[in-house]
Amino acid sequence: MTEKVMDQEILNIILKDTYSLTSLKHRLRILKSNLLKTFFGGENNQTLSFTAQDLNWLQFLPEGFYRKFNKDNVYQILTGLEKGISGLPTLTIYLTFEPDDTTLSRIGSVARKTFNSPFLILDIKLDPNLIAGAALVWKGVYRDYSLRAKVENRKLEIIGEFKKFLR
Amino acid sequence: MPNLPLDLTNLALIVTLIIILLLYLREYNKRKKLESEGDKFLQGIKEKGWENLHQSIKKSQEILGEAELEGIKVVAGSEVELSKLENEYSKRLSQSLETSQRNIDKAQEKLMQFMTDLQKSSAQFEEASKVSGQERINQLFDNIENRLSDFLVQTAQKTSSSIELELKSSRQLIDTYKNEQLKLIDENIIAMMEQTLSLVLGKKLSLSDQLDLIYEALEKAKVEKFIV
Repeated sequence: MTEKVMDQEILNIILKDTYSLTSLKHRLRILKSNLLKTFFGGENNQTLSFTAQDLNWLQFLPEGFYRKFNKDNVYQILTGLEKGISGLPTLTIYLTFEPDDTTLSRIGSVARKTFNSPFLILDIKLDPNLIAGAALVWKGVYRDYSLRAKVENRKLEIIGEFKKFLR
Repeated sequence: MPNLPLDLTNLALIVTLIIILLLYLREYNKRKKLESEGDKFLQGIKEKGWENLHQSIKKSQEILGEAELEGIKVVAGSEVELSKLENEYSKRLSQSLETSQRNIDKAQEKLMQFMTDLQKSSAQFEEASKVSGQERINQLFDNIENRLSDFLVQTAQKTSSSIELELKSSRQLIDTYKNEQLKLIDENIIAMMEQTLSLVLGKKLSLSDQLDLIYEALEKAKVEKFIV
């Protein structure tokens, strides 16, 4: 098995229940920290403090996942994973609220299913002016699908109705 | 025997002196003779001159006497002729005066006639001038009236079109302003509505509704093939 394929497999396992870019980067950091602690001991666990969720995630990774790492390849694989992030299909999504992990998982799984892209990663950003719904950026192109855009699109109709009401 | 001082030179000198003396004497005599002849000739001329003078005086006196006589005769004749001439002159003068008087009378008559004609002509001319002047004045008034009427009509038209343009411009300005204001109001309505919706829905919209709208957005992006 080549190193690249192995890196991809590891990344796919991580991406299975990781939907956002922030969360992916965070999980890679805690994974790195955990692996370095496992292989080289002591000091690395001082740099990161794991939450219950982090520990839970590390604990429930597939059985054969950790077998892919050893003292000799751990740095190489981790570097390959970090580089692999930039090659992932990333959809920037503007939301009006900050989603928790559960909500993020729901949005991410629906997005992957909708666009039929199992490794789609979301870059979550906040824009309260959207009112509700979402705006998307794909390969540098912005498109607004929020309630604000709907209001803007039906502006004349709304104003007409409003004027009727005023009369 | 003593030698006499006679040599050739002395002898020649003496001879020359004798010859000169002789020539002088001869010339002296000639001159003397000429002077006496000149005196005689002058005396003769003088005498003849006196004689001529006496004769001339005598003839002059005669001529004067005759001239006086002729003068007396001429004067006498002249007086007669003068009286004749006076008579003739007075006669002709009176004739001339009469003729002149007649001519003057005729001229006076002609002048009077001319003055009368002139007066008539002047009256006719004055009348014609009056008529012509009146016609011209009437024509002038007509022209002025027409021009004034045209000017007033044109001015009215110009004023009317200017007012219309101003009104149009003002209406356009008002319409533009109105449209701008309405546009601004519309924008404000939308902004207000968006703000209200944001405030109300941000609080009132459930997570489920939020997620539904997000799923709808994703579905729409799929339909539009925004993400390929």
